[in-house]
Amino acid sequence: MSIVQNKKELSNWYLPGILGGLFITGKHLITNLLNPKKMPTLNYPEEKFEYSPRFKGNHVLTVKKDGSLRCTACMLCATNCPAECITIKASEHDDPTVEKFPISYEIDILRCVFCGFCEEACPVDAIRMGPEWQTPGVNGSEFHYGIDRLAYRPALKGGIQSVLDDEERHKAGI
Amino acid sequence: MAKCTINGKEVEVKDGTTIIQAMSGEKQDWQHGKVAHYCWHPGLSVAGVCRLCMVEIEGNPRVQIACNTVVTEGMKINNTSEKVKDAAKWGLDFHLINHPLDCPICDQAGECGLQDQYMEFGKYTPEMSEKKVKKHKVVDLGPTVVLDSERCILCSRCVRFTEEVSKTNELGIFNRGDHSEIGTHAGMELNNKYSLNTVDICPVGALTSKDFRFKQRVWYLKDAETVCNGCSTGCNVKVYFNKEGMFRVKPVFNKDVNSYWMCDDGRDIYKFVNKESRLLKAKKKTTGGNWEEMFPGAAAKELSSTVKAAGDGLALVVTGQYTNEEYEALFTNLKTKKVFHWVNSPEKHNDFDGLLIRGDKNPNTKGLQAVMQKHGITPGNWADLVAGLQSGNIKTLIVAAPEIAAVYPDIKHRVSEFEKAHNLVWLSSTKSVEVDLLTGNIWQIPMKSFVEKDGTFVNHGGLAQKFKKATTVVSEALNLGEAALLMSGAQIMVKPETSPFVETARPADRVTLENRKKNEFVFKRGTL
Repeated sequence: MSIVQNKKELSNWYLPGILGGLFITGKHLITNLLNPKKMPTLNYPEEKFEYSPRFKGNHVLTVKKDGSLRCTACMLCATNCPAECITIKASEHDDPTVEKFPISYEIDILRCVFCGFCEEACPVDAIRMGPEWQTPGVNGSEFHYGIDRLAYRPALKGGIQSVLDDEERHKAGI
Repeated sequence: MAKCTINGKEVEVKDGTTIIQAMSGEKQDWQHGKVAHYCWHPGLSVAGVCRLCMVEIEGNPRVQIACNTVVTEGMKINNTSEKVKDAAKWGLDFHLINHPLDCPICDQAGECGLQDQYMEFGKYTPEMSEKKVKKHKVVDLGPTVVLDSERCILCSRCVRFTEEVSKTNELGIFNRGDHSEIGTHAGMELNNKYSLNTVDICPVGALTSKDFRFKQRVWYLKDAETVCNGCSTGCNVKVYFNKEGMFRVKPVFNKDVNSYWMCDDGRDIYKFVNKESRLLKAKKKTTGGNWEEMFPGAAAKELSSTVKAAGDGLALVVTGQYTNEEYEALFTNLKTKKVFHWVNSPEKHNDFDGLLIRGDKNPNTKGLQAVMQKHGITPGNWADLVAGLQSGNIKTLIVAAPEIAAVYPDIKHRVSEFEKAHNLVWLSSTKSVEVDLLTGNIWQIPMKSFVEKDGTFVNHGGLAQKFKKATTVVSEALNLGEAALLMSGAQIMVKPETSPFVETARPADRVTLENRKKNEFVFKRGTL
């Protein structure tokens, strides 16, 4: 590391520096008071910054029209996950048109690196990266997000519907 | 012998060999070039229905199928030309016309013939604009197999299997054209002792095993070859496992033993290996006391004084479920004349169903007999054992108990006989309810199962088959040799092996906020 030393005569005088600093602070104070809309900071808990729609926050599991999980438990997200934070347990569904569905879908959010590979790997638009990022918890178990949290948390108001519909696909003859 | 040229290489084959046989070779290593195929299986008859194994033969204007064309003298065969590749590509296109492409929920994905061959020969964009024909999905064929007709490519391997190998004729192809479907004949279900072989030979995901269905994706599984310990046939098998446990067993080709097949009972052997059914720690109980857990090595060491004190009163009961090497070590370290061979249902021992299943449900009866003969031991009469236990002549009884107790229907009766021994040592890999209920001085020491050790099994025909350790499930378990050595008083160190198996169900974090507040490592501002 190189150390830069200011060896000018003026640097021995501290008062000009202090006054210069005070001038800058005062300038910002006055401009912010006169024009609060242009203020670069936020009053954080009350005001929140809105990120772009492409922001990768906490995961959302989408649902079908009837409100059941869209996920087919194909494990492609878990396979693609570089942090290995997704654990899925698949099971047989009573409905033969559904066949396979997850009985447990868990994301260890503390291991997650929010890379979005799960979203990319998903063939049925079952997992998306949502906008939320302020998700504190008081102990470790609260960071293992299960189906309840991922698909049906109150903020989602009954679940986000997937764009992919099996019935429509079958009608189209795919 | 006929000489022919395959892809420019001169090959000499037996008369009557088909081109595909000549190309795959006996070891199925496709030395002379890979041929796309679905319906041809080396263990079944030739059907020639998939039309994918096209090869070019010099002098023939059109490509021909390799599975049904016999090699003739001087034949010049080529399967690398553009013409052949084009034929395979279009063949594949037709197979996929009605294929549902539900790979994400298909168990076969990852080891599917359609996926593999699409990546190797296909790679096209589909050109069909018609709607796909819908067929039955999730059809229950029987107690073991589920059928998905949409995925089926009608290669008829499963039908030929039930006709030629199991000779039960349950399956058939019904309807015509693109409505053709595999199904069971009226009033029948696919319920035979070899039904799961149809799942193995199905090149696509049409037939799936109910037992394995949706348990794991195949790309998460590792495999290792070993020998089945389900009966005295000694089929060569592959076990599939990952860190969550073992999931399935599949046959491996061995022309002297099992050919390409194995029975359905043999596919359950992985269940006796998984942690749920295993004895994990050694247990000790003294008269009137409760079970006390201890380390297996420590328990065996502690027993050495008991064994020494017993002197002539030491007796061994052995079963045919251990390897030759273990028997050797057992008989050299624990020297006693009182050796008894515990035989399960001896009246059934010579039963044979004509294909693979044998009545002797021990993998190594022949090996045990040979080792006993070598050591000059003649197994004692069972009545002598019972009498000895009654009279107190036999003080300490060491039982090398069966790994798969389910094939020992007499276990409850026998265990009640063993209970009369002053000290009973029960060496077993699996948990045993019968032994848990006994009273008296009893030790239970966990043994390694057949996938956790190297060894040799000698099958019914006297064929010795060596196998290697696949993985470790119970890290502290001993093998019979180590246990015998420790019990004889030798000072050896048995290092516990590291087990890759983890608990599948993750327990919830038990540290609540209350406890975290009490934690001494609470961050205090200004201090570290």
